[in-house]
Amino acid sequence: MADDQAPAGAETPESGLDLLAGARLVEPAHDMTGIAKINSVWVTSGYWGPLSEEMHPAIVALRAAFPDEVEQVVFFRDEVTLIVKAQKLIEMCLLLRDDPELSYRMLTDLTAVDMLRMRSAPRFDVVVTLYSVKNRQRLRLKTAIDEQQACPSLTAVWSAANWLERECYDMFGITFAGHPDLRRMLLAEDWDEGHPLRKDYPMRGYKPYVEPGFEEGAAPRIKDFRRL
Amino acid sequence: MTPATLGSWAVEDEQDLGDGQRLMIINMGPQHPSTHGVMRIVLTLDGETIVHADPVIGYLHRGVEKIGETRRYSQFTPWTDRTDYVAAPLNNLGYILTVEKLCGIVAPERAQYIRVLMAECSRIASHLVWLGTHALDIGALSMVLYTFTEREKLLDIFEDFCGARLTTNMMEIGGFSRSLKQTTIVQIENFLKTFPAAIQDFMDLLDDNPIWIARTRGVGVIEPDVALDYGLTGACLRGSGINYDIRKAQPYLIYDRMDFEVPLGTQGDVYDRYLVRVEEMRQAMRIIRQCLDQMPTDGPIMSNDSNYVIPPHDTVLRTAEDMQRHFVWVIKGFNAPKGEVYMAIEHSKGELGHYIVSDGTNTPYRLRIRTPDFVNLQVLPYMAEGAMLADSVALIGTIDIVLGSVDR
Repeated sequence: MADDQAPAGAETPESGLDLLAGARLVEPAHDMTGIAKINSVWVTSGYWGPLSEEMHPAIVALRAAFPDEVEQVVFFRDEVTLIVKAQKLIEMCLLLRDDPELSYRMLTDLTAVDMLRMRSAPRFDVVVTLYSVKNRQRLRLKTAIDEQQACPSLTAVWSAANWLERECYDMFGITFAGHPDLRRMLLAEDWDEGHPLRKDYPMRGYKPYVEPGFEEGAAPRIKDFRRL
Repeated sequence: MTPATLGSWAVEDEQDLGDGQRLMIINMGPQHPSTHGVMRIVLTLDGETIVHADPVIGYLHRGVEKIGETRRYSQFTPWTDRTDYVAAPLNNLGYILTVEKLCGIVAPERAQYIRVLMAECSRIASHLVWLGTHALDIGALSMVLYTFTEREKLLDIFEDFCGARLTTNMMEIGGFSRSLKQTTIVQIENFLKTFPAAIQDFMDLLDDNPIWIARTRGVGVIEPDVALDYGLTGACLRGSGINYDIRKAQPYLIYDRMDFEVPLGTQGDVYDRYLVRVEEMRQAMRIIRQCLDQMPTDGPIMSNDSNYVIPPHDTVLRTAEDMQRHFVWVIKGFNAPKGEVYMAIEHSKGELGHYIVSDGTNTPYRLRIRTPDFVNLQVLPYMAEGAMLADSVALIGTIDIVLGSVDR
């Protein structure tokens, strides 16, 4: 068996840099004989809405209201990802939240991905996952943010964004414009070593760990032998 | 490397408002038994009334997401035990299902039944810890003894099944490599026989207890709109009357075959969330019962025919192909397809989501763990505003936090 090869259909797309450009091609390519057919979750549709740009109500509504903002729509594993521009993110989220047909009233998750090793610029992807209790549908919005750029804060739309954006700022150093209380969330308040989930942050930090009380010329307790 | 901007984290003792009015600022925690771990809450008090509460978390931050980026997919499962150590099998399940969704694997039917069985046992165990400690915080000191006695039986079941009690690491990508033993089934059957009476005991102790009612009814009310706005999930959301249980709304595994009900609260207070969780334990028992009845007695428990799962032991010894597959799987893991997936399961505390961005290598490019209690804890300042200082322990307890899961 050729384990060092990617499974069938998962070849790197021609453009190379963009993560999701070839995502549509990926199909589960496994022989399922001998295994009972199961009504699997991600085979049944309806969880992320119809898998078509013309049929999905959120895509249609956003395309109608913001013709220039939606850059790309990606379907992967029955999930719907909208890659949007950052400028009108708040307005788009307000539309998704307040439209009675869509009613994406719950902000499930807000996080970021450091795209340093995926592409040259922009640096980060901010990923917003929404859920509509009424329609039982999820939706993911992705927007690219550069290092010096500030992402619009969604705290005015959902209160849940408060801590999630603080965590993003803490872990990635992304600033959120309009956030009422942007400070460290998980790390110590006097943490001066940057933002650990960035790809250029070493696994064991910039400084060697020194046992407290042995700062004077003491050797670091753990040698940095791991990669990264 | 950008330096951290410091907010106003320095705690002053008092704040003078003039006219003889003063606000007192005190630290609750990080070493406080009723914060369920290491959490600090900076409380601003006007007399005994809480004016503002600012939770300070991160004392247990271990960088699990960063670690996940350097570990192969199958190596990360033990870390999921340690994010929420009270419900380790549920955490395993959430991560495993995400990897399976990314790779397009479906576990065999029997493995799915065993997963649901263990997940529901874990849900009961987690709720028992919550009930015991929550009641202990409020003042019902004996509850913790009763609930931990019952939880002990569940830990024995885990031990019999996988060898570990707390950090179980029992789920594997593709199914299980060990089947459910007959002794485990007997233990579960015995538990199902005795547990309804135990739950009835808990409710007899608490339900009509005037002290319990005085401490919980009308305290920490969350309106449905607020609950949605704060992104609450689990019993915190259902206690406010919003019907969102992922097992029903987006059924995974074989939950669509199970007959169970989702309890909803009406008032959205601490008492309602208590009722919701107790009823969830009863419903979990129903699911366990149905699993035992419906589970196929025979059949595969590990998805084979795939590059993504470890080959079964007997074919590794017999065939050259599987020996090679096994070698490569152990030495370098598997390359997951490029893409990104988000998979959420109904954890005992709410929606546990894992978000994986894969770049086609054998480690995740980004692994995000959306823990339910991190998001749920945000509502604490809202609930605490205007409450009494003594209620703060009830409010912390009702969210059901585990600091390992909050801080990751």
